[in-house]
Amino acid sequence: VKNPPRLIARTLAVTFITVALILSVVFIVLMVEARDRVRAAEMEKLGVAERVFTALEAARQQDQLAAIGTVAENPTLKAALDTYFTESRFTGLPAEQEISLRDTVTLEVEKLAALTRADVLAVLDSGGHVFATAGPSAADWPRGERPDIAIAVPSTLQGMAVLPSGAFRVSGAALRLVDRDIGALLLGTRLDGAYARELSNLAGADVVIVVRGVVVASTLPPDVTGALGRQGFHAAATQTLQGEEFAIRTLLDSGPARIYTLASIDAAARTATRDALLTLATVAFGAFVLAGVGSLWLARTLADPIDRLSGEIAMMTASRDLRRPLPPTGTSRELDALAQAFNELMEGLTAAEADTRAAYLGAIRGLAATLDARDPYTAGHSERVSALSVLIGRQMGIGETELEVLRLGALLHDIGKVGISDQILRKPGPLLPDEFEHLKRHPGLGAHILRQVPFLGPHIPIVELHHERPDGRGYPFGLRGDDIPLAARIVHVADAFDAITSARAYRPARSATEALAELHAYSGTQFDPASVDALLTVVPLATATPEPALQELLGRQTV
Amino acid sequence: MRSGVLLVSLWASAVPWTVDPAAQQEAVVRGRVEIGVPITARRPSSAYPTRSVPAPALAPASERRHVVVYLRDAPRQPVAPMRVALRQRDESFVPRVVAVTVGSEVDFPNEDPIYHNVFSLSRAKTFNLGRYPRGETRGVRFDVPGVVKVFCEIHSHMSATVMVFDHPWFATPDDAGRFELARVPVGDRQITAWHERLGDTTLNVRIESGRPVSADFTLPVPQQ
Repeated sequence: VKNPPRLIARTLAVTFITVALILSVVFIVLMVEARDRVRAAEMEKLGVAERVFTALEAARQQDQLAAIGTVAENPTLKAALDTYFTESRFTGLPAEQEISLRDTVTLEVEKLAALTRADVLAVLDSGGHVFATAGPSAADWPRGERPDIAIAVPSTLQGMAVLPSGAFRVSGAALRLVDRDIGALLLGTRLDGAYARELSNLAGADVVIVVRGVVVASTLPPDVTGALGRQGFHAAATQTLQGEEFAIRTLLDSGPARIYTLASIDAAARTATRDALLTLATVAFGAFVLAGVGSLWLARTLADPIDRLSGEIAMMTASRDLRRPLPPTGTSRELDALAQAFNELMEGLTAAEADTRAAYLGAIRGLAATLDARDPYTAGHSERVSALSVLIGRQMGIGETELEVLRLGALLHDIGKVGISDQILRKPGPLLPDEFEHLKRHPGLGAHILRQVPFLGPHIPIVELHHERPDGRGYPFGLRGDDIPLAARIVHVADAFDAITSARAYRPARSATEALAELHAYSGTQFDPASVDALLTVVPLATATPEPALQELLGRQTV
Repeated sequence: MRSGVLLVSLWASAVPWTVDPAAQQEAVVRGRVEIGVPITARRPSSAYPTRSVPAPALAPASERRHVVVYLRDAPRQPVAPMRVALRQRDESFVPRVVAVTVGSEVDFPNEDPIYHNVFSLSRAKTFNLGRYPRGETRGVRFDVPGVVKVFCEIHSHMSATVMVFDHPWFATPDDAGRFELARVPVGDRQITAWHERLGDTTLNVRIESGRPVSADFTLPVPQQ
């Protein structure tokens, strides 16, 4: 037999499954949405980085140009440079003069380089060859070398210079004398790891510098940089490197050099996902706790009144007390309606049972009356014994249920006489011993008849044992004292009282007082003393009872 | 106005007569200097030169005065010193180029309402006259032949050239570009026109006694 689950298990399961489903949907939506949001945010970040870079670079270029404009006005530098080339063209320069002039230029350049803090400050002659350099990267600009310079902004000499040992961002100014250029002064920033890191700090993203298609500096991890070197840059906004998706934006595209900024969408998405999951976990914990508490409370408000009702019903069943109505629970309309319906059902059942009992009492009364009617002397005997037994029983404090048994058992106590012949029953004289033996069979016969009717089980001892005596000389079993059921003892006393006060064919009726005296005389031997005492108490009171059988019984004594 | 600025005091008559009188073999060289601008000569990028020729915008006539024509590898001659003024006016040296004989004195009068400085790093004469105000004049004597670049330490864009010769065969063209070198000794000679931006341009001429020689320059000569 399948045992259905408890209500609380069901509400908990339903609530938890619902919460889990909602959370799963929210989780999936969050994950998809988080990645899209991160992608857009990273793109936006790179866009901002580009704008910041552009603005800062513009300011930096402006500063550099201002600085270099001032530097390019250095008279000593220009004088030395112009003297150098004018004289070397005119007559040629002796060695010490050349060294002296070049040193003059170099000294000035070094002083200026210290002021500008550029990677390199270079003086080019009018032919574009390196004449003098200073700065940390001066060695990359060997004298006489003609750097490949791509000028992006011609008026200000801004652009890219590529030398064998590296690429430089340059901005410069012409060295102008009266109305002619005697050379140029260039301020160079080396495109190396340090520059990439500086840009990366500015941009808040990784930076890759590519010169002539070759990655020269990168702040990305080496393996990603390697993958980038193999793949090259696509013209797309995103590119997948080493399994990670990167957002890419060009910061600078100037001649042979390009500077890109990259941001890993996956890395940002991981962070966003972790944050979202943490939030979701917190929400989930709260939701489960709330749902658990809520469904526990719900289950209790449902289950507790039901438990109370079923406890009440169990108690009613145990005590066989069906008349008390179930109290309304006051917790829900449905439960109160259920209790109400139950009460109505019980009322209906009680009423039907009362009807059934009345009907079957009537039938049994009729049967007993029929039996009594066989002998005019015993007419109404059963009714009278029944009424008197109930009086005695009530006097002795017997419960209502047992009184009912007593009433019916007393009514049927002589039913076994159905099997006794009229010759014996109606014999107008003392019975012969074998006739008496025959008569003594009637309790057993009565019990036998009652056994045929299932619900008369409780009444059998009364019928079977109502001729037993406390001294053990009764029949059919010769039981003693307390071995005889109380109901049987009461019926025995009531039976004797009615027999004495009734007329017989062989003797007249005697008075109730005589009967009581005789019963009292045999109390303890023939009759149960407690029952006899009760009888003595109830007989004077019985005049007040409306029971017709009793009226008849007691009225007789006045006759 | 500009012609008045140049104070070369009749250098031709000032040259002493020192050439060997026995030879008397000399001739005058006359010519014109023309300056074609732009200076950048476009090189043909293919076998067939491009048909589009940049319009030859000529430099202003005054630019011709910044040319010095002289006899190259001339024998050293005793020459009379000169006195020339190189003014500082409107933050520039006027004239920008002067040619003088060895031993000449050049004055640098400051005619601007601001301080100026005059200095040179050149081998022929290295000097620094310091800073001085309007109205003041400081001078330098040039005793060594050669080219001397003159600058102002305060105004880095100012520049002038003093060419010092130890012979008399040099000239500065007039506004029309005409010049004349008198009494050039006979023989195969080289006449050079020097310009601070365009460099040297040299013509080979044969000087024959008593016959005037014509030497016309067009600067710049495209580089080979």
